[in-house]
Amino acid sequence: MRVTARIASLCCAVLLSQAATAADALPQRWVSAGGSITEWVVALGGESKLVGVDTTSLHPIELKKLPSIGYQRQLAAEGILSLKPDLLLGSEEMGPPPVLAQVKGAGVSVEALPTKSDLATLEHNLGRIGALLGDEPRAAKALADYKARLQTQAKWVSTAQADKPAPTVLLLLSHSGSSPMAAGQDTIGAWLIAQAGGRSITTHTSYKALSTEALLALDPQVIIFADRSIAGPEAKAALLKQNPALAATRAAKNDRLLALDPTLLVGGLGPRIPDALAVLGAAFYPAATPLTAVAKPQP
Amino acid sequence: MNPVVLPRSLFIALGLLLALALLFSLALGPVSLPWLDTLKATLRVFGAPLGGAELDQAELIIGQIRMPRTLLGLAVGAVLALSGVAMQGLFRNPLADPGLVGVSSGAALGAAMAIVGGAWLGGLPDAIAPYLLSACAFAGGLVVTALVYRLGSRNGQTSVSTMLLAGIALTALAGAVIGLFTYLADDATLRTLTFWNLGSLNGASYSRLWPLLVVTLAVGLWLPKRAKALNALLLGESEARHLGFEVERVKRELVFCTALGVGAAVAAAGMIGFIGLVVPHLVRLLVGPDHRVLLPASALAGAALLLFADVLARMVLAPAELPIGIVTALIGAPFFLYLLLRGRA
Repeated sequence: MRVTARIASLCCAVLLSQAATAADALPQRWVSAGGSITEWVVALGGESKLVGVDTTSLHPIELKKLPSIGYQRQLAAEGILSLKPDLLLGSEEMGPPPVLAQVKGAGVSVEALPTKSDLATLEHNLGRIGALLGDEPRAAKALADYKARLQTQAKWVSTAQADKPAPTVLLLLSHSGSSPMAAGQDTIGAWLIAQAGGRSITTHTSYKALSTEALLALDPQVIIFADRSIAGPEAKAALLKQNPALAATRAAKNDRLLALDPTLLVGGLGPRIPDALAVLGAAFYPAATPLTAVAKPQP
Repeated sequence: MNPVVLPRSLFIALGLLLALALLFSLALGPVSLPWLDTLKATLRVFGAPLGGAELDQAELIIGQIRMPRTLLGLAVGAVLALSGVAMQGLFRNPLADPGLVGVSSGAALGAAMAIVGGAWLGGLPDAIAPYLLSACAFAGGLVVTALVYRLGSRNGQTSVSTMLLAGIALTALAGAVIGLFTYLADDATLRTLTFWNLGSLNGASYSRLWPLLVVTLAVGLWLPKRAKALNALLLGESEARHLGFEVERVKRELVFCTALGVGAAVAAAGMIGFIGLVVPHLVRLLVGPDHRVLLPASALAGAALLLFADVLARMVLAPAELPIGIVTALIGAPFFLYLLLRGRA
């Protein structure tokens, strides 16, 4: 009886220690560079493992307490090593390459994930992050949820478009200065507009400066500013006062100027995209019932 | 201008300063190592069989990160300061900087082409990609300088003032082309370009270091041989010619050395301002205009200053890093102003 108990406890101990070594093999101290990748790490439950982040990792706000390793393209080897990480995770924009080589040389595993804004890339990235966290099921569930939300969004858009034509939408990067940068056809900005049910009105590629006259000629029905600072009504009024041309557009006359968090536009598909799409969609089709409770048009 | 200090005491002081800068550069960084480990690891980098596995990390940090970085700082600082002396001597103007003959803007143009062009071409093989930027920057610097020199020459005579104006014109032209590249660049490329323009000793490695070391050594050995000619040039070109110097040849050599030195420095570390302009000026304020002293003293001072600036750049925001161009300007410009104001009083 006692012997069997002892053997049982011994077996338990062996099993436990094996489980412990399996967990030890996973990287425990992570440095993460690249906004949406860090967001996914947090979303998949890896926040406690982060010991440092780069300057593009701004969400959630608690990450600001962590040491900053600087901008993801200008990392410094010694700074990263001083955090004693097991893993440097980041986007493929991470660099410069010699620094990554130095970090690798010091025995830190370096994992650079692609940042293309499509579901195949997201699937790959979530798979990798899940494996590194040792929690693949959670990553798989997050991906399935994400895909489901995008599908619901697409369905919602087609229903809304049955009643009303898609509004023409322009996304501007900054409103300061005389010529803001407009999101072109191949940008994630245009992708967001399309997913939310709008019709991106620009014809160029990438982000190009837009003159006042071109803005008037395009005369979009909705303008999105990738800038949090213009969310309030006072800020919007001030913006229109400074830019008479902007005030002359249909979007401004009908009070359809929207603010969008600019961090959504960098580093691939992040976990906050479905929420943002619901909000944008609700603003594009004010008559339709919003998709989620949070998706109220911004004031 | 009366010398404030004797050359010999200046050399001793600068030597000590440079030794201190080297020490700091090897011993200080975001990873804090005990002094004894630093010493042991440094000796081990040079092949001494010291310590055990516990020193591996220290050896790696010193051997692979701090040592190449220190050597890069040493070479860039020295060669920029030497080129500054050469240009100020050639143009007989203490406000001349190596950028005047177009080498900096040419290098920046080459770099912009490499950064934006590389992004267009997409995935270059890893073996070429890191060298493309340096090679283009170096080539750009040499080509624009050669153009400036050609424009300044007529019938075998080089007019320094025409060269100066041609340099200004080509700098403006290069600026416009860089602007065009900036406009065409996407967001990410733009950030790379901006950071390159601020300069950094970050990510130095031996394989990219040796061309600069060779150039620095060559320029550092060659220019002092022309110290007497530079002294004669201070009197004026025809005076120098009457004193028996081959003025045209000296001019050609000075321009070539500057293009080579600054081109290699910019290619290795990006644009680092201030050193080439202010270090020679500063040393001149201390010991007077004799190039036999000015050249080596400026090389020592430039290297020491850049190393100190780099220690600051890596420590202030650790574990992040400040571009070194910001630090050199922040330290140097106020100090320069102080010297100017003191000199006037």
